[in-house]
Amino acid sequence: MIQTKPYDFMVKYTQQKEWIEGRGNFIAFAFFLGGISGGLYLAASYFDSLLGQFVAWLLALLMGVSYMIHLSKPFRFWRMFMKPGTSWIARGFIFIMLFIGFTFIQLILSQWVSGATAAITTFTVLAGIFAFAQSIYTGFAVSYVSAIKIWNSAILPILFVVCGITGGLAILLAIMMSGDHAQLVALENVIRVMLIAFAIIVGVYLWNTTYSSITAKDSVVRLIRGSLAPLFWIGVFFFGILIPIVISVSTYFAGEAATGLLITAVISEIIGGLALRFAVLKAGVYSPLLPAE
Amino acid sequence: MRWGMAIELKRCIGCYECVLACKAEHFLPPDIFWNRVLIGESGKYPTVTKLIYNVRCNQCADPPCVKVCPTGATQQREDGIVWVDEDKCVGCRYCMVACPYQMRTIYEDGNAQYFPGQGLTEHEKAGRELYPHQPGVVQKCIFCKERIDAGLAAGLTPGVDREATPACVISCPTKAMHFGDLDDPYSEINRIIKEKKGHQFHPEYGTDPSIYYID
Repeated sequence: MIQTKPYDFMVKYTQQKEWIEGRGNFIAFAFFLGGISGGLYLAASYFDSLLGQFVAWLLALLMGVSYMIHLSKPFRFWRMFMKPGTSWIARGFIFIMLFIGFTFIQLILSQWVSGATAAITTFTVLAGIFAFAQSIYTGFAVSYVSAIKIWNSAILPILFVVCGITGGLAILLAIMMSGDHAQLVALENVIRVMLIAFAIIVGVYLWNTTYSSITAKDSVVRLIRGSLAPLFWIGVFFFGILIPIVISVSTYFAGEAATGLLITAVISEIIGGLALRFAVLKAGVYSPLLPAE
Repeated sequence: MRWGMAIELKRCIGCYECVLACKAEHFLPPDIFWNRVLIGESGKYPTVTKLIYNVRCNQCADPPCVKVCPTGATQQREDGIVWVDEDKCVGCRYCMVACPYQMRTIYEDGNAQYFPGQGLTEHEKAGRELYPHQPGVVQKCIFCKERIDAGLAAGLTPGVDREATPACVISCPTKAMHFGDLDDPYSEINRIIKEKKGHQFHPEYGTDPSIYYID
């Protein structure tokens, strides 16, 4: 057996820390906020909720702030537009800025120039495109890292975007709770479908990852029964999947849902989405540098 | 032209001279290492083998760190050397995450001293003047590109003339490291790699490292 103390990373599977410890926590927050912001905007546009679109815009601003805190040199942020040709972080930064810009114009028009329907539609479509881009790019930024096998999966961008849309729908539910009953029922139905899709994609992602490589399997084992199991089972499974699904299904059969139950589902879904980003980033491990004995 | 290195593992005695030479050459702050020596053991008594690996940035021909960098701070020169422009780095750490060899480090504490509470040494003071490192940016081995450039300008040959060769290579007392042009089929380094069956770390990553190890 190889015995080395100072450089464990050379002989053992080692967890990536740059994007999860210290300032690295803020990139997990940024990814989470980007996901729900994009998801909320798309959902709010579909259900015609101006307040929902405004909250999505605020969340995108928060995402930008979280990004800034993550950077060691935040005053150089403008340089992050420089290499969209190859860097997903640069592409994402452009998506966020365009989303914030187009949404801002759309909100102004919708609130104060409501007669300009053609312009509002145009900017809603543009903002919607970049809302989706902002939501999905976080998955691409992570999955592009071929060095970390659990991340290097084509399913991850889909998982992140579905999680973002589900979180966005949950927030929209909270916003529309006192509104039109028919719309609320329609929204609940969409959430039920998305929650089931989310649960399936989480399962497929983990299952698929276990046989993609030994290193990826090590990551999944950490999530399922290792040091990250509490985060995965309590955060992702219990809060992100189980509670919202139980509430959704029970309200489907019981008829009208109590406000308290819906709020519980919304908060639970948001916690689950955040836990998912942390769980995936924390599960990222590198293969040992030296060949196995 | 593509600069590369070959390291003969059986020649390395683990004296850390290359690490110190690199520290001195680039005035590296405390806890910042651009190259490292790993010493370990393999096997069980009585068939125990001592392992000594000397590692640094692999100067990959297809470096993921260059692709992921959002600002263009991490760049690759025509001679293959990958380096970081400290004035452009925002410290997003994407390159650190993307490096499969984990050979990048971030310099965070700009006030770190080798002897805390006792002031800066003369070497540290000189370093802050001659080779300032910006806190909050990512650092890595640059194959002593300053020495290579100055040497080439003076008509010297990197890998042959000491003044044009990376500090770690010329400091090695056992001549375990060789430096030269991988694109030149007649170069000494290519001969050594071919004759002694040099291999790259994790070729399956597809990054085509410029450092070869010889068992």
